[in-house]
Order: sequence, then C-alpha cells, then structure tokens
Amino acid sequence: MGKGRGMTTTKQKSLKRVVSVLAATLALCTVSASAQAQEIQLTGPLAGAPAVRKLRLHRKGRFEIAPAVSFTLLDEYQRTILLGGRLQYNFTDWLAFGAWGAVGSAIRISTYLTDQIQNVNAGRRAADPGTAANPNGTSLDRQLTAGNVGPDFKKQLGGIDWVVAPQFTAVPFRGKLALFQSIYLDTDLYFFGGPAFVGLKERANCNSCAGVFKTSTRVAIAPTFGLGINFYINKWSALGFEYRGLPFSWDTSGFDTAGGGKDKKFPDNRITDDDRRFNFNQLLTVSYNIYLPFQYRVSE
Amino acid sequence: MKSSPIGLLVAVALGIFPAQSWAAGKSHAAGKAAAAKDSKGATDSAVVDADASGAGAPATDAAAAGDTAGSVTATPAPGGDDSATPGGGSGLDDICKIDPAACPNLDMDKEAARPLKEQIFAVQQAYALRVRRLELQLGWSVSMNDQFVSHPAPVLALNYYITNVLAIGINGEYYLNNDKEFNAQVRRSARVAVPLTEYQWAAALNFTYVPAYGKFAGFGDFIFHYDAYVVGGVGAISVRPIPVIDPDNRNFSFEPKLAFNAGIGLRIFFNRWFAAVLEVRDYVFNDKLENLTVDRNPANKNTWYGETSLTNNVQAQFGVAFFIPPSFDYRLPK
Repeated sequence: MGKGRGMTTTKQKSLKRVVSVLAATLALCTVSASAQAQEIQLTGPLAGAPAVRKLRLHRKGRFEIAPAVSFTLLDEYQRTILLGGRLQYNFTDWLAFGAWGAVGSAIRISTYLTDQIQNVNAGRRAADPGTAANPNGTSLDRQLTAGNVGPDFKKQLGGIDWVVAPQFTAVPFRGKLALFQSIYLDTDLYFFGGPAFVGLKERANCNSCAGVFKTSTRVAIAPTFGLGINFYINKWSALGFEYRGLPFSWDTSGFDTAGGGKDKKFPDNRITDDDRRFNFNQLLTVSYNIYLPFQYRVSE
Repeated sequence: MKSSPIGLLVAVALGIFPAQSWAAGKSHAAGKAAAAKDSKGATDSAVVDADASGAGAPATDAAAAGDTAGSVTATPAPGGDDSATPGGGSGLDDICKIDPAACPNLDMDKEAARPLKEQIFAVQQAYALRVRRLELQLGWSVSMNDQFVSHPAPVLALNYYITNVLAIGINGEYYLNNDKEFNAQVRRSARVAVPLTEYQWAAALNFTYVPAYGKFAGFGDFIFHYDAYVVGGVGAISVRPIPVIDPDNRNFSFEPKLAFNAGIGLRIFFNRWFAAVLEVRDYVFNDKLENLTVDRNPANKNTWYGETSLTNNVQAQFGVAFFIPPSFDYRLPK
C-alpha cells in the first residue's frame, strides 16, 4: 500500500513539529530584536532633554542654618529632647557638608518603667530604712538591690548630654508636593551620614558599688546616619523632618547586669564597661531651615 | 512537511514587518541628513521641514528660496501653490481650500514673540488614579514604642477607592512576639516586674484619605511619583498578658479588645499599579494587665488580672501595594 497525500509517518510528523517550533522561535526572536531596535528611534523636541527644566536650586551654593529639636525613640528609662541645630554648606544641589549639634541635658522625661522602679524602691526604703551599721537594710529586696538602685533612681540613669556630628548630606531626590490640590511645595529627600561625638553621663565605674551611685561623663564615638525630607516654604526657608540612627553601647540604667559568670553575662557586683549594652538609638528631628543667601538659583 | 513552510513564511513575515519599521526610522534619519545636506549654506529650515514631512524632499523649495523656519507663514501661496508651504500642501492649506473665509492668517513671528500666559499646573495629571481601583497591600510591621516586647507582624490590607482620594478597606495582621532580654535584666537588678503584653492578631475596618501627592526627580534623571495618606479605623486586637509576676500559676488566654487606629503613610509608585508603602499607625486599645500582687489562692483566675491601661501600639509598616485593575483611563487630558 503506497503512501497517499494525507498519510504521513510518525517520523515525518516529528520532523514537522521540530521545524514548526524552530520557525516560530525564529519569528519570535526576529520580532523582539526588531522591537529593541525601534527603541533607538526616539526623536523629536524632547529627545535628549533633561528630566526637569528650570529647577529651583534651593541648595546650590547656599549656607543652611537649621534650628532643630530632636526626640529620642524607644527609650527604656528616660526620653531625651535635644535642642540644637544643623549648619551646613551645600556645594551643589545634591551634596552638602556640615554638622549637626544638640544638647540633651536640658529636657529629660522619665518613662513608666523608671517611675515604677522609683516608686517601688522608695516604698522599700521607707519600710526598711536601715541603720548606720547596716545602711542597706535587712530585707532581702533591699540587700539584693543595694548595688543597683540608689535613693533616687533617676539620678543614676545614663543620658546623652550633647552630640556633635560632622556629616555629608546627599540629596538624590528632588520634587514637589500638592497638598489638598491647593498648596504646592518644593520638596527634597536626602540621606546623611558621618561620625558622631556623643557626650554621655553614666554611672561611674566602681568595684564596691553598694550605696555608691556617682556618675561620670565620657565621650563616645559612633556612626550616625539617616534620612530626611524638606518642605520648602519660600525662597529662603524650609520645614524639615529627619530620622537618625545613632548606635553605640552605653549604660542606660546604672545596673550591674554583666561582667561575671559564663560569657560575662551575669552580675559581678561591680560597675564596669561590661555593663554597657548596645543600643540602636533613634531620633526624630524637626527643623526650620534657613538658607543664605536668600535668593536661590534656577537651572537651565 | 506541509506546515513547515507556513511557519517559515510567518517567520519571514514577522521578520520583515519590524525591519520595515526600522527602515522607516533610518529613512527619517536619511531624510534629516539629506535635508541638512541640502540646507548647507542656506538655512536650518530644511531640517525642520524634513522632520515635519518625514521625507525631506519638500524642504528644497524653502531652502532654495532662502526662507527661514521663522518666516514661513500659514498664508496660502498666491494661486494656491501648495509647494510654498512646508509639508507639501496639508494642514492649514486644506482649510483654506475648503473655506477661504476661515483661512487663518497668522504672522508666525508675531505669534512666537507673544508672551505665553498659559496656565501651568504645578502637578499635572496625577500619575496613578486610584478611583474605583482595589489596592492590595502586603507588608511587614514592627513596633515603635514597646521597648519590652517587640511585635513584628506580616500585614495584609485591602482598600477600595470610592473617589480618587477616599478609600474604604480592611486590614489584618498576625503578630510574632519577642520578649526581650532587657526585661529579665531589670527584674534581676531592681526586683521590679513590669507587666508585659503580647499580641496575637489585629483586624480593622479603615478609611483612607489621600490629601497629598507629588513627584520626585531621582538624580535629576528619572521621575517617580508618590502620595501621602492618612488612615483611621476601628477593629479588634487579640492580646494577653505575659505572666511575669507569677508565671508558675498564671496562664492567660488571648482575648479580643476593641481597638481604634490612626496613622499616616507614604506610597511611592514604581509604575501605575505597583508601589512601595511606608506607614506609621497607632492602635489604641484598653489593655488588662497582669496583677502585680499574688493572691493567697494563686490558682484563682479572678485574681490574675490587675489594672487596665490605655495602650498605644505604634507600628511602622513597610510593604508593597498592587492596584487592581492595573490600568485606567483619564477622564480629562490634563
């Protein structure tokens, strides 16, 4: 029986499929290659034009003086409100160098935990005031906390006295904002970073610490970084909001929590550097930025 | 092998089609080049004409006459000679042929010199319209104000935009709790225990209002759009105390509490249906804390709870948003 026109063998069918698939693949490859080639045909009046024309250069060549208030976040024992400011020079509209400085010793607000410890501690001392021969009292609570909690717990807490942070600021994003479709503001989003010098008050190191709750100061050096957004109110001023990370180790409570036992994770009845804990300190800053000279430049 | 030639024909056809498009682009370029060549020693108007016509040939009259682009007027040439106008007799010339009375007579030099007082919108045509679109948010939240127990949680939210600025929606999250080492240190050092609370889930019905939108130019090169919103709602949060005063006897069960929430958020659009979301929201609820004292009968459940406290659970949320349907039509051109 000969092969008719409509009759094909299995081998022929397979060959057909392979050739068809190859042809379709070739077609698809040709299409995508041509589509890619079409992209380079971009012509017209906007071809090669910058993304933004006549951009108001709020920063370029201007000094920035920004009084600021900063609030610490996620504090365990006391919240600190730092009063200070930022002074920087903007070399270009996207790069600046300056410093942020603030004083934190003026406003400190104790947390619920601090109040709770102080209240409990005051109650214990009232119930068991101790004697000249045994100043730490006789109760178990008084004796176990003699080296950790002083008469006024708030006075032994660690605090940030001041911060000075030279920093570079990069401003990669510049834009505008429509508020309620009636108020229009220029904005920019920036990132900053640099070293920070932090003046700290902490409980002083001691070897025999029962009843000794003196504090000392030191300067910690830590990295600081963050991001912020500015809303330009007029030609020479802006309102700024900033988030800052300031991680370093310090003793926030004045407790003897480490230095002894396995891996130094147990109390050793002394206050030492081992009692410092790593804290990722965080701050929110609100600033009012003033730019000098008062007139900004405009890009082409 | 019957279908193989068909496939090859399709391949050739598809290959030729875009190749022609590409060739058209080349011819533009060629036209430009030719026009530029023609206009050497004459004017730049030939280049303008070449762009307008796409051929380059009609530019020769103007170039030969020494006209400039600025001197070309919309006035028809005497006798209806179309060749005097760029483009080879189209556009305004057609109007003049149909109705000479309606034929505009503009001096382009004067028109070009007129000061433009056209109203320009500070933010033209919102990049992504939200009206009648569903927003699906997927995210991860972290607690911002609980230094004792962290409450990270995956978050899912659905919002339907009734108008371009107002949405109604729901959200839910499932908490993972982490009792920090710091708590044990405080208990050991000061012999003071602070009541702790862990969360299980939260769900809420919310209203979202979008009062602000804008755009940023990134590195002066690309532009992305964003909007800022406020959100508020009411729902429930399931919580229970972590037993720290008498953990040997007390074992609390989760109980849902009425919770109000309010927050602000920022949405950064990568395209018209996909955005990154940053949000800070405060969930406020009345929390029943563990009793700080132990009763003589510690197994009595009625003595386990102490005072109630209005608790603020401030969370920061990071996530992405998908808008469905992904495309939309503008009602107005601007």
